[in-house]
Amino acid sequence: MSDESFISIKNISKHFGNVRACDDVSFDIRRGEFFALLGPSGCGKTTLLRMLAGFEIPTMGEIFIDGQPMAAIPPYERPVNMVFQSYAIFPHLTVAQNIGFGLRKDKLPKAEMDKKVDEALEMIAMAGYGHRGADELSGGQRQRVALARALIKKPKVLLLDEPLGALDKKLREQMQLELRDLQREVGITFVFVTHDQEEALTMSDRIAVMAAGKALEIDSPVDLYEKPKTPFCADFLGTMNFFEGSVDSIGGGEAVIKTAEVGSLKSKGPNMDFSTNDRVMAAIRPENIEVAFEQPSSGSFITGKVRASAFLGDRAHVYINVEGRKDPVLTAMQNMDGAASQMSGQDHTVWLTWSDEAVILLPQDAS
Amino acid sequence: MNKSKFGALGVYTVLYLAFLYIPVLFIPLFSFNDSIYIAFPLKEFTLQHYVDMIERKPLINALYNSLQVGFSVSVISTIFGMLAAKTFTKYHIPGTKPLTAFISIPLVIPLIILGISLLTVLKYFDIKLSLFTVGAAHTVICIPFAMFVLISRLEGFDKSMEEAAQDLGETPWITFWRVTFPLAMPGIIASLLLCFTISFDEFILAFFLGSDQPTLPLYMWSQLRFPAKLPSVLALGSVIFLTSFAVVCFAEWVRRRGVQTQTGAAI
Repeated sequence: MSDESFISIKNISKHFGNVRACDDVSFDIRRGEFFALLGPSGCGKTTLLRMLAGFEIPTMGEIFIDGQPMAAIPPYERPVNMVFQSYAIFPHLTVAQNIGFGLRKDKLPKAEMDKKVDEALEMIAMAGYGHRGADELSGGQRQRVALARALIKKPKVLLLDEPLGALDKKLREQMQLELRDLQREVGITFVFVTHDQEEALTMSDRIAVMAAGKALEIDSPVDLYEKPKTPFCADFLGTMNFFEGSVDSIGGGEAVIKTAEVGSLKSKGPNMDFSTNDRVMAAIRPENIEVAFEQPSSGSFITGKVRASAFLGDRAHVYINVEGRKDPVLTAMQNMDGAASQMSGQDHTVWLTWSDEAVILLPQDAS
Repeated sequence: MNKSKFGALGVYTVLYLAFLYIPVLFIPLFSFNDSIYIAFPLKEFTLQHYVDMIERKPLINALYNSLQVGFSVSVISTIFGMLAAKTFTKYHIPGTKPLTAFISIPLVIPLIILGISLLTVLKYFDIKLSLFTVGAAHTVICIPFAMFVLISRLEGFDKSMEEAAQDLGETPWITFWRVTFPLAMPGIIASLLLCFTISFDEFILAFFLGSDQPTLPLYMWSQLRFPAKLPSVLALGSVIFLTSFAVVCFAEWVRRRGVQTQTGAAI
């Protein structure tokens, strides 16, 4: 079995009555990869994860793990383990009993089992916590115990359902790094579900962006962010300014787009797979728009008035009204030397510029 | 504040409680009264009725019968109740509501109707009346109680607990014993106690379906015909009253404790 398709999801659909939770999803996950299923709630990501674990049976399609078809294999015989969103720590057992829960079938001598549990406790930096009751743990500790309990089984794949959702922001950021390190250390393939795009970007090797039961795009975080191929991904990962228009001319790695709102836009971005007169979206990331207080001497620009700004400390989001456009243009600027604080006043006239490379062309949604 | 309105409600409350509890309190009161007649004024204090009670062989036999039936009924009803509760909480099978309603029907059928119909069936199949038939009838009325107690318990804990156990390699059967059963324990105890209490003081079904081995309520009723024996029935009544009260309190305490540890663990 090739490492490229360690987990193979083939034409998987799952229907709940009339609802299509997953709709003909196909992709492969590599061996040893940290893979994220990202999407808004109801996009089918959790259903897909539960099908990998064996808790849901696909209506159509097949799943292979390490070359083995999973269809006839019940959850308790699959080479996968799961960290549940609620962590599902057994409240009637101690921490050590929770972690050792899955070892019963291995029929180890007690000393060896205790040793394994102690090692697992050490791995999660909770040595000495073995005798505590499950209800004496904090949220972060519960998360670690759930991890240790799953990893002690040495699964081929670890599934994580919104593993950090129940933690507060600081702890979440710390756990993101810890999870990442842990995954490299144990070398097990991690598949995790999240609705938090920042979490997906931080942690994963690759991300599958899901919406309405479909896997829209699968790529590395950088490529997904910088070269999105659908307006949904462009908008879901980070924020994006969209300008509707049609292709005026295209060729030689550049295109000119006619827009109703801001006139002509030149693009030297990715996705040049369009022809003249195609309806497209020209998309520009807020951080790629430069805001100037004086008219630039050359290049293309548009003018607008500052409508509002959201000061975020290290940076500021500035909303700029542009004549002829309903929604304000969003720009993001670093607060270097207090630059962002100058934006606090309203009604400044500003000039917006960007490079042609920052203009990404996307197909317009069918809807 | 409307004082007069509160006063009216207060009077109502006092009358209500008096009507509910004073007759019940007469039983222990007269069980200590040195007279065979239930009438004021009270005579001397005595424990003689309690001594009589203990010395009466048939009475102790009846108590033993009732304990036997009550114990079996509570265990069997709780097992059936658990099966039903597990089904209704785990699977979203179509018709869950009609099915639970169907199982609860014995709760709303008048016991006398249930008694007559069960008797008809038993007679038709020529089944001899015994403590077994009484127990079977009690099981019919106890299952819905057991089911509702256990449904509320099973709904109270995180479904992913059972999934986690399966994910960690346990079959559904072992999962039940390692996870579901211990987590449902407070509900199981509550169900056992509740079913026992229901069976223990049930009269109508025991009357229709019983044989020459009377259960305690039947025996007590039969003694009412002999005025001389009434005081020891009062003594026994007091003991049962106290015991039922204690058992129900204990069941409720166990249930609440379960609810608390559950919510405590969820934080």
